[in-house]
Amino acid sequence: MLKVENLYKNFGNIRAVDGISFEVERGEVFGLLGPNGAGKSTTISIISTLLPPTKGEILFEGESIFKNSKNLRQKLGIVPQDVALYPTLTGYENLRFWGNLYGLKGADLKKRINEVAEIIGLNGRLKDKVDKYSGGMKRRLNIGAALLHEPELLIMDEPTVGIDPQSRSHILDTVLKLNAQGMTIIYTTHYMEEAEELCSRICIMDEGKIIASGTKQELVELVKEKTQINIKLDNISDNMLQVFKEIPGVFDAAIHEDTVSLFGENGDMLLADIVSKVSEKNFKIQSIDIQKPNLEAVFLHLTGKALRD
Amino acid sequence: MKVINIIIKDLKVVLSDKQAIIVTMLMPLILMTILSMALKGSFISSLDIEINQIPIAVVKLYDQEADSQIFAQTLEERLNINLTGDEANPEEIFFEDFLESKEVSKMINYRIEDYEKAVDLLNEGEISAIIVLPEKYIYDMKINLFTPFRNNVDVRILTHPDRTIDGEIVASVMEAYNNTMSSIVIGKNVLIESASANDIGGEGFDNIDEIMEGMTDLVEGINVNIENLSVQGKQSIKSSEYYTSAMITMFILFAAGQGGRMLLEEKDNQTYQRMVIADISKTHILAGKFFTIFLLASIQIIIMLVYSYFALKVRWRDAGSVAVLSAASAFAVAGLGIFIASITYRAGNYRLANAFENVIIQVMAILGGSFFPLDLMPEIIQNLSVFSLNGVAMKAYLKIIMGYNFAGISGSVLILAATGILFIIAGVILFNKEVTANAKHSKIKTA
Repeated sequence: MLKVENLYKNFGNIRAVDGISFEVERGEVFGLLGPNGAGKSTTISIISTLLPPTKGEILFEGESIFKNSKNLRQKLGIVPQDVALYPTLTGYENLRFWGNLYGLKGADLKKRINEVAEIIGLNGRLKDKVDKYSGGMKRRLNIGAALLHEPELLIMDEPTVGIDPQSRSHILDTVLKLNAQGMTIIYTTHYMEEAEELCSRICIMDEGKIIASGTKQELVELVKEKTQINIKLDNISDNMLQVFKEIPGVFDAAIHEDTVSLFGENGDMLLADIVSKVSEKNFKIQSIDIQKPNLEAVFLHLTGKALRD
Repeated sequence: MKVINIIIKDLKVVLSDKQAIIVTMLMPLILMTILSMALKGSFISSLDIEINQIPIAVVKLYDQEADSQIFAQTLEERLNINLTGDEANPEEIFFEDFLESKEVSKMINYRIEDYEKAVDLLNEGEISAIIVLPEKYIYDMKINLFTPFRNNVDVRILTHPDRTIDGEIVASVMEAYNNTMSSIVIGKNVLIESASANDIGGEGFDNIDEIMEGMTDLVEGINVNIENLSVQGKQSIKSSEYYTSAMITMFILFAAGQGGRMLLEEKDNQTYQRMVIADISKTHILAGKFFTIFLLASIQIIIMLVYSYFALKVRWRDAGSVAVLSAASAFAVAGLGIFIASITYRAGNYRLANAFENVIIQVMAILGGSFFPLDLMPEIIQNLSVFSLNGVAMKAYLKIIMGYNFAGISGSVLILAATGILFIIAGVILFNKEVTANAKHSKIKTA
């Protein structure tokens, strides 16, 4: 459905997107996973035709979006990370405006607004002004505004940032429902769990490049023999990292807040060595957690840093 | 159709902002009412205000020699009095004792011209008023001053409608002159009647020249009927009319200020990007903003016109001219609005829009005469007033009230329309330039 080929974007001397290529199949939820500054936003802006690339091509249904943006724009829905709505208008007025811009009017528009309100769970609150909504309600309306024209491709840009767990859960359910109805979705996030839960295929981006891509299983395969051991300590200092890295069998180590994450083969044996080293150095352990390989581990393995860094 | 949707949405957004409504819709009504009432009495004859010398022309329609000769002849024939020739001279009284006196010359600077030349100068704005001394002025004044008879003397004052205040000052000074001269003439008549009643007879008349000479030392006036006309039959402006025009033309500038923020606000809250993705062209977006500002300014004007009609009794003589001028003013303001919007959008901050609302509008208001009539301003400010949109529009509104027809305001309408077009062109160029210059900031924000 969408093919990104050798895409570059420079802002002055800064290369925000560095030769990325990927393909999004019709009917899938495609994840773009990466930390802040990875180049996700720039990539989305180029796909949305807001920004021209420095180099590269994007094909939508086999046609260059830079030569004919109209076809894509009519079939594209975008959910920006910021709530792109008019706060002093009601939810209904917002949906009507965006629906009008996509050519909907009259009874069709009214019907579609009711359908969308049902999908986003706001059918009882559309008469209220948006600035009276909670953060979660605003985000749901933000999604609703992108659904009015029934897009074939929906780009959702970190739609769950900063909202309560209940709204987050509602949004994730909505994404799955929309996908089940046949909508293709590109979902960007830096929440590894969301990507794991929603996406059939994932591209992991860092510093403008795609460092890995594939299904979740394919990605985890990269670190399948590695065990991640998270040790929560009373006090953490940078020099601890070196101490842990010196333990035989530890491939990598990273600190995130008050937790040290260690990666190595043969978790049981490794755990004994780690505990021994901790005792030797008089570090005080609060908790130890052994995890199966996941995308966080993949990212850490590939970049040497945590996703949320 | 998409533009109409954008306009409807923008109007809803603006009108849902209560603070903006108070500033743009309610404030001008309050201000025009307060200023109209507060300055009702002092608006025209602001003698307390320090002003520049008012240039005037004096037209002498009389023949001094002939008048004096006829007067001497009449006096000799009717009263059998022969004058010595060194009696007080009305011309000297008017020019030397009155116009050239220390106090009057501070305010008025006169030149003597013939009637046609004086009218030309008045129409060109070179002078602010004409004092026309009528035929037989010397004869009539001498009759009034030296005989028991009283002849009517009609001194006319012609003023320029654009310089109402100057004209009223000249009229006030002439009125003071008139009052003083009246008291002299009355005093003279009382003297003559007293002399006659006490059978002083010839002695009273023998000394009348001496008495008059003593009295005229105190005098800067004559017994005249002042006919205060405006040239071309135009009406003078009342404070309510002045401040209605002033507030209309000043407060519609706030619509430009509001409009100036719209594009960047849309960009900041990502609705602009969303519109672009919805395949709304930049031209549509800019046109939407333009017509929103145009409609906002038009709504403001209509509210102020209606309010001034009913509450302040301002009568707009020519509804067609008012409509065309209002449309031209709103057009110019809308052009200015999208120009500010484009710069603000391109700059990525609200400094210009803030400066426009907080500083530039106030400066334009002063330059345009929205607070104080331009006649009272230093010449440099009067010259700079041509650069204020509100000043151009206000002059035209005042002209309509004065009674000018459309031809009289067509120049202002053209200036406003041309200014609007220039601003639109500049705004469109700047806005389109943004695509490449500021593309980095057009992208969708992510964490």
